[in-house]
Amino acid sequence: MSAPLVMLQDVAKSFGRRLLVQNRSFTLSGINITVNRGEVVGILGESGSGKSTVANIITRLTSYDAGSYVYDGRDVSGYLKSESFGFKSKVQIVFQDPYGSLNPRATVADSIGEGIKLHQPQLGKTEREARVRQLLDEVGLPPDCGDRYPHEFSGGQRQRIAIARALAVEPELLVCDEPLSSLDVSIQAQVLELFVKLIRERHLTIVFISHDVNVVRLICDRVYVMHEGRIVEEGRAHDVLTHPQNEYTERLLAAVY
Amino acid sequence: MTVPLLELRDVTIALRGSNRRMVTGVGLSVSVGEVFGVVGESGSGKTLLTRTVFGLQDDTYLAGGTVNFAGRTLPLDGYMKAARKLLGGEVGFVPQDPYSSLNPTMRVGEQITEALYLAKRMPMNGTATRQAAIDVLGEVGIPEPELAFRQFPDQFSGGMRQRIVFAIALAQDPKLLIADEPTTALDAITQRRVIELMLDRCRTRGMAVILISHNLELLRQSVDRLAVLYGGQLHNIAETAAIGHHTIHPYTEALFDCIPSKGKTLEDIRAIRGEPAGAGFGLKGCAFASRCRYAEPICVESDLPLNSAAQNGFTACLLGRGAPQ
Amino acid sequence: MRTLWTYARSNIERTALIVAALVILMALFGGFLAPFDPLKIDFRSKILPPSPEHWLGTDGSGRDVLSRLLVGAQMTLASTAVVLVVVATFGCAVGIFSALVGGAVDNMLMRLADVWLGFPPLILALGFAAALGASLEAAIWALIFSWWPNYARLTRMVTVDILSRKFIASADALGVGTGAKIFRYILPNAFDVLIVQVTLDISAIMLAISGLSFIGVGAQIPLPEWGAMIADGRSYVANGWWIVLAPGLMIFLTAFSFNIIGDMLRRELDPTSRRR
Repeated sequence: MSAPLVMLQDVAKSFGRRLLVQNRSFTLSGINITVNRGEVVGILGESGSGKSTVANIITRLTSYDAGSYVYDGRDVSGYLKSESFGFKSKVQIVFQDPYGSLNPRATVADSIGEGIKLHQPQLGKTEREARVRQLLDEVGLPPDCGDRYPHEFSGGQRQRIAIARALAVEPELLVCDEPLSSLDVSIQAQVLELFVKLIRERHLTIVFISHDVNVVRLICDRVYVMHEGRIVEEGRAHDVLTHPQNEYTERLLAAVY
Repeated sequence: MTVPLLELRDVTIALRGSNRRMVTGVGLSVSVGEVFGVVGESGSGKTLLTRTVFGLQDDTYLAGGTVNFAGRTLPLDGYMKAARKLLGGEVGFVPQDPYSSLNPTMRVGEQITEALYLAKRMPMNGTATRQAAIDVLGEVGIPEPELAFRQFPDQFSGGMRQRIVFAIALAQDPKLLIADEPTTALDAITQRRVIELMLDRCRTRGMAVILISHNLELLRQSVDRLAVLYGGQLHNIAETAAIGHHTIHPYTEALFDCIPSKGKTLEDIRAIRGEPAGAGFGLKGCAFASRCRYAEPICVESDLPLNSAAQNGFTACLLGRGAPQ
Repeated sequence: MRTLWTYARSNIERTALIVAALVILMALFGGFLAPFDPLKIDFRSKILPPSPEHWLGTDGSGRDVLSRLLVGAQMTLASTAVVLVVVATFGCAVGIFSALVGGAVDNMLMRLADVWLGFPPLILALGFAAALGASLEAAIWALIFSWWPNYARLTRMVTVDILSRKFIASADALGVGTGAKIFRYILPNAFDVLIVQVTLDISAIMLAISGLSFIGVGAQIPLPEWGAMIADGRSYVANGWWIVLAPGLMIFLTAFSFNIIGDMLRRELDPTSRRR
């Protein structure tokens, strides 16, 4: 059994200002999260629970104030600049809002190809364009739509483009921060199917952040339940979500439609 | 045969200016004390329909059809004015966003006493009015209602604010309550509490409710009958008990099949391919045909049938699927 | 250019676009088109009303008004352009830098900009005139000096807003460098707001330059800068009204047109109203 890909130990982060969402100040504390290769790990929680912050910490978009983060056996805080850059080709993120996650002034092909240009500069223009077409096809979009701009696409399509952009650098770990929540009901199932396909075909390791208990139950192997900056329960998704031990988890499961 | 509380026959909603028909030919009826759901995705026209019918939307108008409320027909000419008269009296409205639907500069109590004044002519500063406001705050589950009376909305959480909005509507003792996605901005636990509270209070008072939501599962567990809208067309009116069991309308069935609800496995989920149609499809053909697994040429060529008689059960499916048992 | 025309929704807007285009052409080619030497004095032909020979008449020193107008377009507009280019480039650079760096530096720079805006431009202009001698250059310097904080603040605000959007976080996650972030992410998305501001400022700065020239602190007589022309023709208003009317009307029409165009751009480029 190889070392876990992600290991957060006792990670904490305090926020000086009050978070607008819940109108009270916010502390992330005692975060212990492990993600093994090939796993789909869910982080379940309501808005204000700190789950998005954890996503940003794992992707190294935000710093943390205490604790340690070991990625693939190496302490991440000791990373040199070059290693930080290399990290970005290993861990990528997909955000919730399909309308804000793409540069409105860049074509779809440019957005997707950007990562390839940065991390595989040895590839020439033709090869890069071929890769972009491949990726578009993989996420279920017509391969020749690369010349168009994001505003010409629907929410679900934009989310697929965002996924293609993240996959372009061939990451080991994909962090998904509420990727379905802003989509129409009938489109959520489509994008969910895409995730299932990608997990199966690429053997991706995924950290899936969501407030939707049912989606987490369907695709996650293990789950961490977060509430007010802390992890209140963890375990195999099936176990936690059918026989919860924690009172908050119980209330959450009872409330969900 | 009792007179329904609200009856829509062949209602068509169009945009001012372009006169483009966004919602076409909707017919439905809601009885006194009934809890009725309206489900649709974005672009289905469900919000446009309800807001226009009750005079809340400025940029649309009633282009055709009849609206009867408590036995009275609202005139097509000067419809908005007549519809607005119902609001705040016989019809109550709980809007979607609890953060912007309360006046942040007015105390909570004042907003309720104002509603009482507008609906029942009770004097805004009267003791009876004040007591009635405190009572209704207690009824919606606000702890320490006397204290809350004097507080401002921003001192309350989202769930509490939604209860206050509900209290304002309740205070006016309407015959019909319209709740437009009342809990979308709230977390799961609060959402369930607020919905259950609303339905409980309304049932106790014999108030009819129209609950609008994109969440089919929520409606399935909360209402007895629901209308399904898609592309500005009314596709189905069905008993919620039938969903998932009997043969139902293809879109309702497809919608039910694609949501990940409790007890389903990944294999049970069947996504609907294609993009949701926007409102304004018109009546020529079924808006869902391009995505429907049963579609046949007739679905695109024929006019969609309407529920002109405002029947309680209805299917617009040109292939007859989902016809009431 | 074609898109600009499609933006116009009323006849006023179309007229504004035509006028602006004509003025720009005047500024570019005026020197070649001028029938007479704008500086040539000829007292025998002074204060002649508009005629087939002098379409706009002559001024108090016998100079052809039309020629002065055409060359003056060059002066007025070129100086406006110089001010705007310098101010916008420098101001945007400061604004973007401030927004990217953030923290105390950002705070200080913006407070500095706030204070700087407190300098009355007129006094500054007098100061520059005293130091460099009253001239068009002095006016240009004064305006550059007093105007750049506007762009710094505007760009900083727009940049902060852009930086808060998720596609920037996505760029960070990919490892996009700062240079690429500025030129491919920030500037293209800030362009709409900035272009509106620049267009509206064309009239403001033009009026400022003409105004300074009019009171004698900017372009000096006999230069045909429009403001200076008005100053020059002030004494002849009674018997030579065309001397003042021509430049005055041109200032008015140009400022008005660019204002209309600026409003039109603001309406069309506002992302909340854009058709998806």
